[in-house]
Amino acid sequence: MSAALRHKLFPYAIAVPFAVVLGFPFLWMAITSLKPEYQVYDPTKVWHFHPTLASYGFLLHHTDYLRWVRNSCLVGLAVVVITLVVAMPAGYALARLAGRVGRTLGVAIFLTYLVPPTLLFLPLSRVVAQYLHLSDRLWSLIVVYPSFTIPFAIWLLMGFFKTIPQELEDAALIDGCSRIGALVRIVFPISLPGILTVVIFTFSLVVNEFVYAITFISSSSNRTVPVGVPTDLIRGDLYNWPGIMAAILIPSIPLALVYNAFLNRFIAGFTGGAFR
Amino acid sequence: MGQETDGPVASSDRLTRRELLRKAGAGAVAIGVAGTAVPYSFAGPLRYKGRDLKGDLTIIQWVHFVPAYDEWFDKTWCPQWGQKNDVQVNVEHINNTLLDTRAAAEVAAQSGHDLFFNLHPMASYEDQVINHASIVHEIESKVGKYGELGRLSTYNPKTKKYFAVSDNYVPDPVVWRHDLWNDIGESPATWDHVRKAAPKLKAKGHPIGIGQSQEVDSNMALMAFLMCFGGFIQDEHNRPTLYSKHTVEAVQFMTDIYKRGEDSTIFGWNPASNNNYLYAGTASLILNAISATRTPESLNLPFSDELWIWPIPAGPHGRIGLEHVMGCYNIWKFSKNKENAEKFLADLCINYKAATTASQLYNFPSFPGAFPFAGIRKAAAADSHKPHGKYSILTTIAQRYTHNIGYPGTTNAAMDEVFSKYLIPQMFARVSQGKATANESVRDTMSVVKNIYAKWRKRGKI
Amino acid sequence: MRFAQAAGGRTRFRYALERRGVLAALLISPAVLFIGVLVGVPLVLAVYLSFTDATAGSLTGKWLGFDNFSNALHDQVFREALWHTFLFTVISQAIVIVVAGLLAHALVRSFRGRWLIRFVILLPWAAPIALTAIGFLWFYDPQASIFTWILEHVHLASKDNPPNWLGTPRAAMSSIITVQAWRTVPFATVIFLAGVSSIPQEVDDAAAMDGATGLRKFWHVSLPLQLPIALVAVLFGIVFTATDMVVPYILTNGGPFNSTQVLTTWAFQTGINAGNIGEGAAIALFMLPLLAVVVVGMLFFARRAEVT
Repeated sequence: MSAALRHKLFPYAIAVPFAVVLGFPFLWMAITSLKPEYQVYDPTKVWHFHPTLASYGFLLHHTDYLRWVRNSCLVGLAVVVITLVVAMPAGYALARLAGRVGRTLGVAIFLTYLVPPTLLFLPLSRVVAQYLHLSDRLWSLIVVYPSFTIPFAIWLLMGFFKTIPQELEDAALIDGCSRIGALVRIVFPISLPGILTVVIFTFSLVVNEFVYAITFISSSSNRTVPVGVPTDLIRGDLYNWPGIMAAILIPSIPLALVYNAFLNRFIAGFTGGAFR
Repeated sequence: MGQETDGPVASSDRLTRRELLRKAGAGAVAIGVAGTAVPYSFAGPLRYKGRDLKGDLTIIQWVHFVPAYDEWFDKTWCPQWGQKNDVQVNVEHINNTLLDTRAAAEVAAQSGHDLFFNLHPMASYEDQVINHASIVHEIESKVGKYGELGRLSTYNPKTKKYFAVSDNYVPDPVVWRHDLWNDIGESPATWDHVRKAAPKLKAKGHPIGIGQSQEVDSNMALMAFLMCFGGFIQDEHNRPTLYSKHTVEAVQFMTDIYKRGEDSTIFGWNPASNNNYLYAGTASLILNAISATRTPESLNLPFSDELWIWPIPAGPHGRIGLEHVMGCYNIWKFSKNKENAEKFLADLCINYKAATTASQLYNFPSFPGAFPFAGIRKAAAADSHKPHGKYSILTTIAQRYTHNIGYPGTTNAAMDEVFSKYLIPQMFARVSQGKATANESVRDTMSVVKNIYAKWRKRGKI
Repeated sequence: MRFAQAAGGRTRFRYALERRGVLAALLISPAVLFIGVLVGVPLVLAVYLSFTDATAGSLTGKWLGFDNFSNALHDQVFREALWHTFLFTVISQAIVIVVAGLLAHALVRSFRGRWLIRFVILLPWAAPIALTAIGFLWFYDPQASIFTWILEHVHLASKDNPPNWLGTPRAAMSSIITVQAWRTVPFATVIFLAGVSSIPQEVDDAAAMDGATGLRKFWHVSLPLQLPIALVAVLFGIVFTATDMVVPYILTNGGPFNSTQVLTTWAFQTGINAGNIGEGAAIALFMLPLLAVVVVGMLFFARRAEVT
């Protein structure tokens, strides 16, 4: 095989098999979600069955599912905003201004992730209930989640700001801009790729979170998707498999589409524009 | 605003408006609702224009396996009780596996629901709850004595405290495929019968399905199995007695059943697995509550008429079973509405006939006087599913063959820990998988059990 | 500073904001505040709890000194959980590194269908893990596992002896490692992709001119340049995996007989299910010094290897 052909086939040879492995569970989820509940265990009906949208109907009409999706989105967006507002200045400071201390603090950032939430949730529930008075409110999540999204966002933005040429800011300073002015007027606008990066990573951290969501929220209408689904679709020892599969697919596909659409921007974000 | 609750979305919108009115009235910016009633779920009573109920009560409990029970509880019982007592009742349901987490979080936060429900008596939380003696006495004065099962599960003889009130328990029968067993001319009357039948059933592709996994069904089945052979985790004085020749014999017996009549999937089960094993048509026998028969009925599975319900098979020591789950309510010391909670709980247990009926005979009252066994039997006999009257045996099982976890002692925190760490299924599984001999496994488990008991004894709880 | 001179009548406050140190402190303080209150305070409380015999959700207890820690070390289940955590983390992340590395190289150039393939690869990351773990319960279901069906139909498994995905120690461990790798690959791929794309074109051209291609180019040029970013992706992967309990908890709950128990699930079972908060806290905290050593070590190594 010629080198040129090999070069051309290389991406397919690697990417396609892995994509199949990564994506196959979702295919099976889709198929299961279309089966009538009593047929999921029927070995004669693995691939041949009468598809039905009953489980989607159940999810949308007989549970609070849409409300949970709304809650997850609300919390996600709010946390993204808070994270950006807090992490951008901090990331800039660590990248530009803090020198050696900055590098040490950069390491300290990782250390905040070493404590498992499976342990922290108990003392935190005291903080949330007694000191913040936010029990069973989405605000409790909005306030708590940034504690684990901010460190990662700071790291991402630190790396990103380092790739912005110092000359740009120096030029602004020479022109009479204050440091803060330079930050706001020059650096932030061209950080859009970095910001998008943070948005996606933060949102994914929020959507995946489960322990705090189950701890701080109890009413059905305030639940987020990861908490609401096991509650309403698993009754004692009966798992509503088609319903659960549908519940997974509904948010995942749009989210993956969004992430995909931004993927080029991420890369630009990391490299400061120097990408192929 | 005088409309009937229409469903989750409609009512929560309306309640949000109510919330806004409240906020505006208070003029507050921060919403200081430290875990008490913010009625977001749809358990709202009929509301008359402008009127607000005086008191509050928040309850959290599991998502009942029988949806009809939750319907009755949320939409009939609570609103009616609320109207009669001028209390706004708010009920939350979460998945039963998450109740332990919530309990810990509520205690850590020192704020949470007034009435907390769990499917097992939370003995280790004794210091966080009130003494429920007054509620028990109130109920007893109306419907008669607290059943032995309930009392032994929720009373600590050392501290003389009722750390919970059990409203219901669920008997744990064997559910078996009559057609398959008939074909080989056997029935699961004793564990010896089961052992004999197991290889024949497995050969036909229908193994026995008694789990040895880290989940509640395996726990219950194996602990009951032990007792049928005279192996007890503790004695009537709550002292650990696990290591005995009866226990070793029981472990060897089950290993035998496994090797000859079960397949290796039983080690990786979750609570739904034995049910699914049955629903797929594979299992010939499982130990489970009647959810295992109700689901095939509702899904119209072809063999649902062949599913028979019998008491646990008898062993050398007798026919001793456990409850499958036991519903227990407790009231935290930091509850904001203790009086309402106490009254609610008492009224619920006193009127438990309605609850048992609403649960389609899943919930048996822990205060038997509320719905005497004769009455339940009649209701069960009226059940139309084939074979006729198959559910009436539940009363026999409940009356004679159901005991508390920790029998002959009481359910206590140490027993709870043995249960939560799945020590018994592990004890069996190690031997069945050939990783240890029965004697070694029981002996090792015993030393762990002894440490646990010593620890809780030091804390003054046993 | 030339600024203050040029601006003339600036207030002292404004002047102070021009000083790097002050500005830096100001910009970092909200973050420090957030993390300090919401991570630091609970952490201190948790450390305190690990030295007590607190039970059942209570946040106070009798002081026990190091008893919880020494009891844990003597407990066989704990030691096994420590080992399982190591296996779980290292093997799953090793798989992730290899797969993500390959994928990043494959995806960096544009080709027909790249968009679709990228979409599929991103799906495991987009789906909430608590739900996909439950989904995998279905994929590994003893009765209806689709993987079993596939294996049976390509004759790699027999109908009488189907694979016992979650029922034997080795299989259960492999299953949870597989699921953890599956969900982490997209995240790592994206970060690696950034690293690969960040190699400036000039370096690439220079390498080509020098005759370095294929594997040699990878080893001498690409790898060193990507190392900083790759290393941090690996670090986050390790830290997230070691401190996460969702996958083992939902798939096996530590079984069969504790053979997939990891520190997080064991801490949870001990602290929450069995009510021994103090012991659970001690078990969970064990990881902290170990992980801290790993993290600091890797970052130090990354700094040395950095090519700027």
